[in-house]
Amino acid sequence: MFERTKNLKLSTIKDIELRASRLPDAISLAQGIPSFDTPACIKRRVEKALKRGVVAKYSLTPGLPELRELIEISLAKENMFYDWQKEIIVTAGSIEAMSSALLALTNPGDEVIVPEPTYTSYLEIIKLAGCQPIFVPLDESLNWQLDPDKLEEKITDKTKVIFFCDPNNPTGTIFSKEQLQKIGSIIEKYNLYAIADEVYKDFVYDSRQLFSLAEIPELRNRVVRVFSFSKAYAMTGWRVGYAHSDESIIQEMLKVHDSLVTCAPVISQYAAMGALEMGDSEVKIFKEQFLKRRELVCKKLDDLNSYFTYIKPDSSYFVFPRLKFAFPNKNKNDGHEKSLSWRFVLDLLKEKQVALVPGAAFGPSGEGHVRINFGRNEKDIIESFARIDKYLQDL
Amino acid sequence: MKLICRYLLKIYLKYLTKLVLFIHKPLIIVVAGSVNKYFVKEEIKRALLAEGRLVRSSPKNFNTEIGLPLSVLYLPSGYNSYRRWHTIIFKALKTIWQKNFPDILVLELGASDPGDMNYLLTIIKPQMAVITDLTQRYLESFSDMNELIEEYQNLILSLPSSGVLVVNQDNNRLKDIARNAKCKVVRFGFDEDSDCRIISVEKQNKGQMIVLSYGRQEKKIVINTFGQHHVYAAAVGTIIKDYA
Repeated sequence: MFERTKNLKLSTIKDIELRASRLPDAISLAQGIPSFDTPACIKRRVEKALKRGVVAKYSLTPGLPELRELIEISLAKENMFYDWQKEIIVTAGSIEAMSSALLALTNPGDEVIVPEPTYTSYLEIIKLAGCQPIFVPLDESLNWQLDPDKLEEKITDKTKVIFFCDPNNPTGTIFSKEQLQKIGSIIEKYNLYAIADEVYKDFVYDSRQLFSLAEIPELRNRVVRVFSFSKAYAMTGWRVGYAHSDESIIQEMLKVHDSLVTCAPVISQYAAMGALEMGDSEVKIFKEQFLKRRELVCKKLDDLNSYFTYIKPDSSYFVFPRLKFAFPNKNKNDGHEKSLSWRFVLDLLKEKQVALVPGAAFGPSGEGHVRINFGRNEKDIIESFARIDKYLQDL
Repeated sequence: MKLICRYLLKIYLKYLTKLVLFIHKPLIIVVAGSVNKYFVKEEIKRALLAEGRLVRSSPKNFNTEIGLPLSVLYLPSGYNSYRRWHTIIFKALKTIWQKNFPDILVLELGASDPGDMNYLLTIIKPQMAVITDLTQRYLESFSDMNELIEEYQNLILSLPSSGVLVVNQDNNRLKDIARNAKCKVVRFGFDEDSDCRIISVEKQNKGQMIVLSYGRQEKKIVINTFGQHHVYAAAVGTIIKDYA
């Protein structure tokens, strides 16, 4: 029984959220939820669709044509040219897009290369697809950058996909154009595919222009790019995102998408239309706020510099500090005794009701770190750090 | 209150737009249809700019009772913000004296409710119209396809005898209603009776290579985009250059 699922785990992030939800005074800086509500212009677009009576029925399996047209237009502005009719699918969030891509591109037993630390749920969907995750550590001493040569060393006959997040969650690292071009050469050389999760692309805190492998025409039949409306437009609850690639891949993904969800929630597809039509100015406001909160969190971490060391994130709304102290094992019998980051996170949650994510959840190189979400509001950030400070003083 | 404000805004923008068009007298090309308006509009603009013409097109897909005037006046939308609308209303007045007003406006027309097209045609008088395609999209407010078709029929009938209708010959319903036009009709598509016939399309790594037969000549076009809708847009762009 449960052969397929017995080795799967509930994502650590959601596990921590569940634990926090049972505590009356918990403040969570764990799950990647922005503090903002969905912008009014998007809600208004949804209200209009509701009034017109167009949300009750399934959409076409790949999504509403008018939404996919808008996605094509928005991609073209970023130098990516994809046919909305055959090369773009609207999905139930980015995780469904990534699951569909993996299930379409791989066979059980294949290996999937994952630069880590990386988003926790990748590992579970790789396992769900019956594949083996192969980790390539990012270099913390070089601002968590990726060494493509190290990645190439991990390639075997079983390798099928390179699966990465750019900007990276949890480190906020942006991969350079040169690094990505090298990955592009590797996937061509070894006849591989790439899945690029770019859900944090709108929150880059310097003047850098993001580059995507999906911009390279020669790689269009090897790269699946995934985007979500959740982070950029404060729409995590709407569960809507999209994937695009060459027709040869997307038409295979479409079969998986149809089997899993039939179509993305139609009401959310109208919300996504509102986001693309009217949401740009809201994204800028969010980014300004996140920038302020990044500075706030970094200032707080500076104040606790005998306990934490960190690299200022270039993007996303996460910071991934390293714990500088050997934390005592106070919570026995919870299965996480060996992990410093788990021990710290669980004890902090128990003692001060502040939820963070243990770095071990993001891959072997994540151990000894914690992920802090600064997408939450300033009040919560300030109160959380006051509690963390108190907790550390009491140690 | 909101409805009253919206009504007043609609009327203000309508008459201001009519005044601006009366003063500047641009050639108006409209793009209508249930799909592909944006790409066709952009291709027309690109083709005419390449010919050195002074052209402007609707920003985004502004094509409604508020969006169309904003397209002509070349103003952004205030969406749901009263403050932004205040600025826009003031800026709109300045467009009367706008310098370098374009010779050609390429505008989208949207029809999502019965009567939409007739209302939009009280604001502008197009000399050329392109109907891209007709599908069941936006059908929800109409009793059936025939009622939706009437919207496009009204557009066709509004064209002057000196005007030009460019229509997708691959769509049977459009093929039928184009017969009612009083003006010149130019047909595009894969259909053998098309005036601008798409002979072949080859997908390449960096886009598509299209071979068109138009005016007794074969023409090769290479575009950096993918999908049949861009092939249609390229055909329309080729036609428009001859008539604008």
